[in-house]
Amino acid sequence: MLRFVTKRLISAVLVLFSISVLVFLIFFATPGVNPAARIAGRSASPATLKAVEATFGLNRPIPIRYGLMMYHLFIKQDLSSYVNIGDKVIPQITQAAPVTLSLVFGAAVLWMVFGVWAGVIAAKNRGRFIDPFIMFVGIAAVSIPAYWLGEVVQLITQTSLHSSVFHWVPSTGFTPLSQNPLQWAVHLLFPWLTLAVLYAGIYARVLRSEMVNAMNEDYIRTARAKGLSERRILYRHALRCSLIPIVSLFGLDIGALIGGSALLIEVVFGLPGVGMLTYNSLTNLDLPVIMGTVMYGAFFVVLASAVVDILYAVIDPRVRVVS
Amino acid sequence: MSDTVSPPSLTLSELPKAPEGPWRSSVRQLRRNKGAIVGLVVLVAIAAISIASPLYVSLVTHLNPFNTNLNGSFVLNGQTIQVMQPNTQGLGLGVNPIGPTWDFQHYFLGADNLGRDVFARLLYGGRVSLLIGFTSAILCSLLATIMGMVAGYYGGFIDWIMSRFFDVIWAFPIYLLAISLSVILLTSGLNLGFIHIQAGSLLLPILIIAGVYVPYVGRPIRGLVFSLREREFIQASIGSGASDWHILRREILPNVMPSVIVFFPLMVAFNILTESALSFLSIGVQPPSASWGTVLNDGLDLLYTRPWVALAPGILIVITCGALNVLGDGFRDAFDPKAKLRGSV
Amino acid sequence: MKLLTSTLLRGAVAVGLMSSLALVNVASSSAAGSNGVMAYQPAHAGGTIKLLASTGGGTLDPQVNYTLQYWQLYQASYDGLVSFQKVSGVGSFTVVPDLATALPVVTNGGKTYTFTLRKGIKFSNGQTVTVNDVYATFVRLFKVLSPNSGSWYNGIIGGDACVAKPATCTLTEGVVVNAATNQVTFNLTTPDAEFLDQLAVPFGSILPASTPTHDMGNVPIPTTGAYYFASYNPNSMLVMKRNPYFKVWSPAAQPQGYPTSIEMVFGGTPSSEVTSVENGQGDWVFDAIPADRLQELSQKYAAQVQVHTLTANWYAVMNTNLAPFNNLKVRQAMNYAVDKKELVNIFGGSNLATPTCTILPPNFPGHVDFCPYNSTASNTYTGTNLAKAKALVAASGTKGMAVAVVCQTDTVNKQVGEYLQGVLTSLGYKATLKALSPSIEFTYIQNTNNKVQISLTQWYQDYPAASDFINVLLGCQNFHKGSTNSINIAGLCVPSLTTKMSAAEKEQLVNPVKANAMWGALDKEIMTNYAPWVPLFNPKQIDFISKRIKNYQFSLEFYMYVDQLQVH
Repeated sequence: MLRFVTKRLISAVLVLFSISVLVFLIFFATPGVNPAARIAGRSASPATLKAVEATFGLNRPIPIRYGLMMYHLFIKQDLSSYVNIGDKVIPQITQAAPVTLSLVFGAAVLWMVFGVWAGVIAAKNRGRFIDPFIMFVGIAAVSIPAYWLGEVVQLITQTSLHSSVFHWVPSTGFTPLSQNPLQWAVHLLFPWLTLAVLYAGIYARVLRSEMVNAMNEDYIRTARAKGLSERRILYRHALRCSLIPIVSLFGLDIGALIGGSALLIEVVFGLPGVGMLTYNSLTNLDLPVIMGTVMYGAFFVVLASAVVDILYAVIDPRVRVVS
Repeated sequence: MSDTVSPPSLTLSELPKAPEGPWRSSVRQLRRNKGAIVGLVVLVAIAAISIASPLYVSLVTHLNPFNTNLNGSFVLNGQTIQVMQPNTQGLGLGVNPIGPTWDFQHYFLGADNLGRDVFARLLYGGRVSLLIGFTSAILCSLLATIMGMVAGYYGGFIDWIMSRFFDVIWAFPIYLLAISLSVILLTSGLNLGFIHIQAGSLLLPILIIAGVYVPYVGRPIRGLVFSLREREFIQASIGSGASDWHILRREILPNVMPSVIVFFPLMVAFNILTESALSFLSIGVQPPSASWGTVLNDGLDLLYTRPWVALAPGILIVITCGALNVLGDGFRDAFDPKAKLRGSV
Repeated sequence: MKLLTSTLLRGAVAVGLMSSLALVNVASSSAAGSNGVMAYQPAHAGGTIKLLASTGGGTLDPQVNYTLQYWQLYQASYDGLVSFQKVSGVGSFTVVPDLATALPVVTNGGKTYTFTLRKGIKFSNGQTVTVNDVYATFVRLFKVLSPNSGSWYNGIIGGDACVAKPATCTLTEGVVVNAATNQVTFNLTTPDAEFLDQLAVPFGSILPASTPTHDMGNVPIPTTGAYYFASYNPNSMLVMKRNPYFKVWSPAAQPQGYPTSIEMVFGGTPSSEVTSVENGQGDWVFDAIPADRLQELSQKYAAQVQVHTLTANWYAVMNTNLAPFNNLKVRQAMNYAVDKKELVNIFGGSNLATPTCTILPPNFPGHVDFCPYNSTASNTYTGTNLAKAKALVAASGTKGMAVAVVCQTDTVNKQVGEYLQGVLTSLGYKATLKALSPSIEFTYIQNTNNKVQISLTQWYQDYPAASDFINVLLGCQNFHKGSTNSINIAGLCVPSLTTKMSAAEKEQLVNPVKANAMWGALDKEIMTNYAPWVPLFNPKQIDFISKRIKNYQFSLEFYMYVDQLQVH
């Protein structure tokens, strides 16, 4: 087991390393993105431009620049932005992370509740009207571009109906939980709902098909043969087994979302989270911040998948051999 | 599944050696699936309308939706109407494009900020969105199948390289990778030795979208081939001295195909959503081409005054992706009922 | 010109003359005295002003920052030896003494400027401002690689050496100080008609000699003016508070401000900022107002909107060294074919922009009305002449060539880019559009390695001088092949023009009126004989302020005076 965990962690570190190299190459192999000219200002003379390049180490060989960037990011932790000079990357991420966490965990509660509820209802009522209805809603939910849904929500709450039904909806932005819990929730309510719609759809569909499959398994037949009530079989046996894939799915999704995959929702609702930070740094081509946020995001994705893998290995020893 | 989510993971069930005529029975089953048929009909209808868009323009509106029309006007019910209407009240700031006329001959859904017919642009945009959705799904499936089969069949070092490649792309937050590549390739174009792709080319979003999803199809295929290789019928072929090419093509590919087919409609839906998300951030399809995403992006600047410009393309995306999802469910039931699709795309 | 921030339009200091349009509310507050200098009204002091901006403006260091966003704030916080007069209207172009007691005595044929420093002025950290601070400020200018250190201030003796080796910079001959007489003397290598303007912009702000000689980033540097920077986080908020050591010495140079504190909050979208100001949750929107909000502003919130003409130019630059635009006929054809009235519609209508045919904006020194490429013989723009344009293209033999238009990705720029691409298509070219991130487009189009054929850009001047347009943007000395800093994007390099430009620069020192006439003639000659640009339109500035704000004052040089806004 220990060997499996070690192997899994080493491969995670390798993956993170490769990603950092990839990001660095993507952005430095491109003509036209040299930040020196922007740092120097609009009508800087060629001499000033050269001096700026030297100050920021932009004239050094690529591998050394990569090494320096990693050194400043991870060891000295003082890597700072090319756009907001002196603005360190790590504090920017730690300031943005609570926003993303608030968004993701709030939405996660909603989608788990609705998704599991809808999935169970559909599975229980298989063959009746409610099942295809829920599945239809589920398909609609997973087919809606979430950012578009966000814009539509904005359109409804901020324009025509803002003066009547939705006068209590604040303009976009974020209020920290510590500052005002009520405002925190009010600001996040619609982002939560928007994000949750999609995942609730996915989870309901996955759970339903898992449960339907489970109901055909041998152990359910055994349970039936023992004369257990249908209700008991559904909740105690089928649901319990079907929740295992849901939980692993949940782990991976949460990892990706905390890592910044909620980027579009954050942009649409003006939430200053990690996704927004990433998006802004990408549009500004602010390489140190891009590097920081991508590494942060990849870290959570890799961590989540490693944790899920290891938990699986704990539950099911065969995995250790196959991997 | 959408734009903000990590992509679908797919757990493929290992098929038993196919009985006689599996294809025919699958197709028959698909034809009995009412939902799938409805999905297919909707999809074909949208595709047909999109493909016919030049006819609409040349027969009905007589107005090229790719030309700006900032000083134009047209006659509706005997009245001459400006396409771009300067705001005359109050301080007189701003110019509003005409809103929906609900008349198919003139600006059915109104005009965008450059005075172009939004409805005609949506029809043309459908061609591009569907083209990107399908071609990148084909490209992605092709690449993923080849890589997954080679990795799973040969194992060893080749497998190690491919798997690490999959791992890295997989761990890269998907939208970050797509956005990073788009930002960069839009600046520089793509130069791969003898291949040069212009920065504004449609090929760029196709390649980017196909590329970032390769691991999501390739990984499960690799796993499937890996376990197929241990099965008796493959071992028997190897033992009888059949060439690798023969085994891959005649023994393994037929067992992999159902999984690829099941995943295909969902992949298309996913690609359409990704394309729209990239275009929404104005790093997808570049003007003068239009797609549903670019029309949506144009509409965001008109959200307060002309909301239909943003609403309409979104509705089309939802309908198309919904149809693809329904079709995907039908494909799964017909070809590989045990495949565990992560929700859907 | 100042760096454009992520939002369009602003981010550049512009000079504008008040539009004569009736709709313009020139804040004719009672505060403006008859001479234009604002009389202080103590009863209205106090309160907090909340300014809204989508993103921060980068480093806070006044010797490095080159954005309107912060130059606007520096007006209330930093002082140079001289500064632009703090009045509403045309007077805001005038350079007045600030930390110096009077305008300098100029001797030695325009090469020596002698100032006397005011006594008793203190920095916001309590230290007294001395001549040593002045010397240190100018050395620091080179050491922190101030953007224009190599293009403006290198005229100070020793400046060129400082540009070459910033680390060891000294200006012992160039900036001579005398602690006994409190005098500062600048010695220049050649006479420079714009030297005072260059001292008056924020790069010339006097800072404590003890300030570290590197870009201070988000660490505030002590100020001399009415406010100091209390805190700054480029991702959340900037706070300015009253400088406790500030006493008014010249209301024309540095007036007392009204609010107790001024906050600039970052992070909203422009549209949400507009909503906040409508609801009274914010006092002013920094970013360009989104097009779909203009209607409600001009109808429901007309009293809170201020519109001012800017002397700035939107223009398409054609690369005179690359096909097809290396052919004069093609450049002229573009000038005939682009419909500037349509572009004005994209920008928000005729009340927000005016079509232009000239390099120098209207109301700018040297500007003369003329329009060589027009539908009629008028000197002002009347319309396109497509037949002529098509004939010129046919004569050039370039029809069918591939042409890429480069522009920025933000809404208005991209729409203008799409329009230009459409014009090229209608002229028979295979035209495509390449929209780039606003943060890289301006450097991208300058670099000849990128082989940009035609691009869209803007120029907002630094100070009112014709050379800031013509010499900077079309002078041969600003064309550097293969460099990202080659601001003469057209690559126009004609010896006879160079001679005339330097003659006009020399004349500026002797006879500014004659010099301006020379610049005007150059404008006409360049557009008629070389047509390197398609001048598109001159934009206007919209300020949207909250209902409670009073005493809005507008500077032609630095826009709205944030410190003069009253909330009581």
